[in-house]
Amino acid sequence: MSWKNVRLIFLREVRDQLRDRRTLFMITILPVLLYPMLGLGMVEMMLTFSEQRRVVVVLNADQMPTSPKFFDESGINEKWFSGGADDASRLQIVTDLSVNARKEDDTGDRSGSKENSPAQLLQNGKALAEKLAELRKASDDRGSSDNLSEIQDRLSNAFVDSGLQALVIVPEGYARSIAALQDDASIGVDHDNDPPRSLLVIRNSADDKSAVAFSRIQGALNRWEDELRAQTFEKAALRPALQKPARLQWVEVARGEQVAANVWSKMFPAMIVIMALTGAFYPAIDLGAGEKERGTMETLLISPARRVELVLGKFGTILMFSIGTALMNLLSMGFTGKHLASAMAGGMANTVSLELPGVHALMWLVILLIPLAALFSALCLALATFAKSTKEGQYYLTPLLMVIMGLTMFCLSPAVEITPLYSVIPVVNIALLLKGLLLSTTQSGALVVYVAPVLLSSLGYSALALWWAIDLYNSEGVLFREAEKFDVRSWLRSLNRDKEPVPANHEAGFCFILILLLQFVAMSYMRPDLSGSDVEAGRKILQTTVIQQLTMIACPAIFMGLLLTTSLRATFRLRMPSVNSMLMGVGLAVLAHPLSIELSSFMVQSGILPPPPMEGLTRINELLQSSELSPWLIITVFAVTPAICEEIAFRGFILSGLARGGRLKIAVLVSSLMFGIIHMIPQQAFNAALLGLVLGLLAVHSRSLFPAMAFHLCNNAIATFHAKSGFGIEADGVFFSRHDGMLRYELPVLILCVFGVAAIVLSMVSDLRKEQEVKRANAMKAFNPPTKFARQMPAGA
Amino acid sequence: MIRVHGLTKEFDDFNGVFRALDNVSFEVQPGEIYGLLGPNGAGKTTCLRILSTVLRPTRGFAEVAGINVMHDAEAVRRNIGFMSCNTGIYDRMTAREMVEYFGRLYGIPEEQLQLRIEELFEILQMNEIRDRLGSKMSTGMKQKVSIARTIVHDPPVIIFDEPTSGLDVLVARNVLQTVASLKEQGKCIIFSTHIMREVEKLCDRIAVIHRGRIVDEGTLPELADRHDQPDVEELFFDLIRKRDSELTEVTVS
Repeated sequence: MSWKNVRLIFLREVRDQLRDRRTLFMITILPVLLYPMLGLGMVEMMLTFSEQRRVVVVLNADQMPTSPKFFDESGINEKWFSGGADDASRLQIVTDLSVNARKEDDTGDRSGSKENSPAQLLQNGKALAEKLAELRKASDDRGSSDNLSEIQDRLSNAFVDSGLQALVIVPEGYARSIAALQDDASIGVDHDNDPPRSLLVIRNSADDKSAVAFSRIQGALNRWEDELRAQTFEKAALRPALQKPARLQWVEVARGEQVAANVWSKMFPAMIVIMALTGAFYPAIDLGAGEKERGTMETLLISPARRVELVLGKFGTILMFSIGTALMNLLSMGFTGKHLASAMAGGMANTVSLELPGVHALMWLVILLIPLAALFSALCLALATFAKSTKEGQYYLTPLLMVIMGLTMFCLSPAVEITPLYSVIPVVNIALLLKGLLLSTTQSGALVVYVAPVLLSSLGYSALALWWAIDLYNSEGVLFREAEKFDVRSWLRSLNRDKEPVPANHEAGFCFILILLLQFVAMSYMRPDLSGSDVEAGRKILQTTVIQQLTMIACPAIFMGLLLTTSLRATFRLRMPSVNSMLMGVGLAVLAHPLSIELSSFMVQSGILPPPPMEGLTRINELLQSSELSPWLIITVFAVTPAICEEIAFRGFILSGLARGGRLKIAVLVSSLMFGIIHMIPQQAFNAALLGLVLGLLAVHSRSLFPAMAFHLCNNAIATFHAKSGFGIEADGVFFSRHDGMLRYELPVLILCVFGVAAIVLSMVSDLRKEQEVKRANAMKAFNPPTKFARQMPAGA
Repeated sequence: MIRVHGLTKEFDDFNGVFRALDNVSFEVQPGEIYGLLGPNGAGKTTCLRILSTVLRPTRGFAEVAGINVMHDAEAVRRNIGFMSCNTGIYDRMTAREMVEYFGRLYGIPEEQLQLRIEELFEILQMNEIRDRLGSKMSTGMKQKVSIARTIVHDPPVIIFDEPTSGLDVLVARNVLQTVASLKEQGKCIIFSTHIMREVEKLCDRIAVIHRGRIVDEGTLPELADRHDQPDVEELFFDLIRKRDSELTEVTVS
């Protein structure tokens, strides 16, 4: 590969982009203008914003105690609101007092028919109070629950229709009851005969307006009650300090920049992800699909530059624009935010300082931006290369953006922190690490351990995406894709007519998605009913497992095989294996078992994988321990069934489909990943993915499904017996030990197993490699010159 | 210079496997213009794309300047100039930048490249569009830039795939004159077209290609003799009709 060519292509593409007005606008003008404009717009909106008044109806307002006085002429006395008159003006208080007074003021002048007139609201309030009384009476009488819920429905419907947002019901004799309480307290006696009445406030918290009105009135009533309490204590000659015996005090230690750090730690990771993506996308579309559309793709392809060089040059360009866009946006947003905060600080009671994060944190931001932008750049380039036109390219943005947004949203939640598992999930790892690093500088010491895995895994994903892009550039079908007319009927016809012995790549992918969807749909239906005795429940668990294996894993694969392929034998690898292959399968299962047990325990113990949910596990363990179920039954369910069903699906249909086109390595890798994914529980998924590699290798090497089945069967059977009794092996401390009653393997055993597995796997790999070389040489013969040319050729050419 | 034997190319599409090129063989010598004459969709472009290594053959042998296209694609590309109606020029690059860029990709030393560019711009009379952006050029100007791009590295083999399609008569005439002058320089040239007059004027030997196969091959007088048809146009239609009837027979039987 010539770096000179990569540089040439890179420089040309950059110049090309810089000459494009749209790109320039997207990466420089837009961010520079957008945020100040948004900020300005926000200020304008805030100035013109006025909150609507919420309606609160008070019944029996005259029953409120006169001291402290809650109501005054205009409604609630403004001293009960934390915001004073401002807050008070946001509530429209309708009391029976005010309505009666108004009636006397302008008799006949008003028609009572107006829908939201105070009189009407008061009427509605009274109706609601009656319904509430009815409900309480019914619940006191212990009426049937149907009846109760019906009344409840009626009450809440009536509330929605009533046009008021909160209803305060002051009980009859409320003032008197409070006065009596205070009198009792002052003379130190306790009269039980007249229990104090309660004041009711009705709200509908499903309605935002009601929730706002409620919180306002609640605040006012609380403050009023404080005052009332103080008064009562005074009358009872109690010390004022007793009113708040717990003496709670809240101390805030966060300084201005830390509050700012909190704001930025949420904003920056989200922004950086979205901006790096958009920054990559538009240049990518232009460099990939745009090149096809403008008819310059072929010009470039016939230049001596290799496809790798083309892709790398283009990738570098996109990367530069992605990083540039993200940084420009962050800078503009940061400065706008800071400026806005300082400009508004004068008018705001609680000043929020939006000081930018320190140099240290910003440095991390730039470092982490690079792998993130690299991943997006490579992904976008691959998608854009795949697209026939810029328009088609745009269609691919939406799903990509949706997925990335979903991941980002997940990271924004304050509870989500970086863990070993998250540190290898693309996008999530960078967003979470960045969040942590921006949040506090003191904590960053602990976070530094994550830097290496995050950077390495992100660069790995970028390399994968880049490799995909290069692969697409080597694919004739993608580069010279003509706009073909797609219609469903001819597609279906071609599905039926152009069947091949083994399924196509995408059919294998579809089979996997189908299995996954079936599992998802069945999640709520296939839960075994665990009532009844242990044995009964156990049988139900076993039954469900078998049904699940048959219907959701084996069935889709078999049906797709029947419908979409011409040779079930080739698709499901139904060939007689050699004895050697079968022995390899069984031997590998025996040797791999201690390794998989120890490795997955290690992963869980070191916190890289979350521990499996205890509930299900103990259930299964109890089931295995119980002696009432015959071991043969358990083996049939947990070993034989999955060995047949899962192998038919994963090493049969899916692996055969993925391997079409001769890419065995990727086929084995992807099929084992898929195999891991359907196992859901992280620990099992990890195990299954690793074992999937061995299973795939076995199937490809032997060209038969049976060695893989043998491996699977032995593996599951061994695991079952291991969980049940540990094969009755005593812990000797040298080879075997026991933790929590489980048989564990010590280093000598593990070393032996590693050697054994490595020897078998390496011999299979070398066999396959030889085979592939022969195949390739044979394939190349088709392009050799005919003998009459060969003879003409000068010697040595 | 160019040797092709039993070249076959198949594509997968919705309608099953489509054979775009079926067992095609021919040879072209230096100083010769070989005409590929055929209607649209005959397989001309597929054949030429294989020679330029942009497509890989399904089977068969193809060699350009002594190099097998399946063995060293980059070396093949360095030895050919390729121009077709699909090889556009960049909108946001000037004529000079465009030719310079490709010259550098071909690895021409900088001094030599500058001299070559001066020379080419002189010969092709492109000096007035030197600094004009591709998007601001007329079709004729673009075609000149394309030609300059095709021959900037002075390749021994040049492939023209319908270079005159969509051009007005004046520009087309210029292109044909350039092709003729390249022949004078001893280049090995393949020229594909569906216009009989161009073939008559330029080509030393022609192959009539239809539905993926070469129907007949030879100099024009040879072909006229063999099929007893002095009129070029009628000759062309006769050969195509012959291939069509062959194919229908195959499908009927």
